Amino acid sequence: MPQSVNVRAIVIQGLSILIICAIIEILAGDVLGRMGEKLTVTLPGLILIIPPLLDLRGNVNGALASRLGTALHTGILEPKFSMSDELKINVASSLILSLIASATIGVIASLISLLFGISAINFITLIIVAVAAGFISGVILAVLTVAVSIFSYIRGWDPDNITAPLMATLGDLITMVSIFIVVLVV
Amino acid sequence: MKMTAYSLRRILWESYPVLILCAVMSLGAGLILQSQLESIKTLPLILVMVPPINGINNNVCSILGARLTSALHIGTIEPKFGKQVALRRNIQATWLMSLGVFVFTSVVFFALALVSGINPVQSVAIMVAFFLASMAAIGATMFCTVWLAFVSFSRGLDPDNVVIPIITSIGDIVGVTCLIIAMKIIGV
Repeated sequence: MPQSVNVRAIVIQGLSILIICAIIEILAGDVLGRMGEKLTVTLPGLILIIPPLLDLRGNVNGALASRLGTALHTGILEPKFSMSDELKINVASSLILSLIASATIGVIASLISLLFGISAINFITLIIVAVAAGFISGVILAVLTVAVSIFSYIRGWDPDNITAPLMATLGDLITMVSIFIVVLVV
Repeated sequence: MKMTAYSLRRILWESYPVLILCAVMSLGAGLILQSQLESIKTLPLILVMVPPINGINNNVCSILGARLTSALHIGTIEPKFGKQVALRRNIQATWLMSLGVFVFTSVVFFALALVSGINPVQSVAIMVAFFLASMAAIGATMFCTVWLAFVSFSRGLDPDNVVIPIITSIGDIVGVTCLIIAMKIIGV
């Protein structure tokens, strides 16, 4: 059934959401650009954890969004903003995963920088930044993911085409801002 | 105890290894950036380009991955390369989307370069470099997406849990590598 793939419809739908995502990503990039001094001089090794932390957040929330989407479609979850057991387990598992995986990234990055002899690295700081930024952005994004999933389900938007890319992109921005704030404080 | 549809332990147990595998791959992208700190000091705009090239690349290929896995499950696409109308149209649509979004992003970077006081000739060079890097990255990542979707489907793994997380990590490495190579070529 070649007719089932409508190139024009995919491109028009996809492009509009992607342009919005591109603008949000450029904002995230701007936050990273503002950290230039910190990355190159004050905290060498910090840049190591930025791609994995951004990626982790996208993966954890993408999985949360897709589980919620399936649960909403199959009726396991009702499209209301109340704390059912299903919702609690989904949100709790995402937060726990965020925390443990962020800590693991901090530890692995410390080991790698030790191995590659990246100078003047402060291991404790690197791990604290990873965990603190992971936790702050994890909480904000879990709440946002639940809200966006339920809202878009009520609106009848396709989670595959809209919710997932939007959440991944917002995740990048919020994670970058969290890292920025934590780095300022540390 | 009340039965629920989800098990905390199962979600954690299934997700953690994949997440860490992906994190280690993304750390590769971080290492590439770390090794290029000198170039980044001379052109901080490279840092601003990292989230857009990685993020958009990941978005485009995640959409392709999700569409392919659905098509594989329904049977409109067979897990093999070669002439298939539905496969070709999906790839066409993905190319067109990428072209549109990266033309837009490249123009924004031209404007950002001008605003940050870089001369017009070099700003054009930066715009062209970003555009070429993003097109090369999207081509390579799209190929990986189709291949991984086919392999995981043929092996009976759920592509939803495997393809998208792995693709976004591969996309990080490919994106950063293409960006650095393009910047070297234009001589930043």
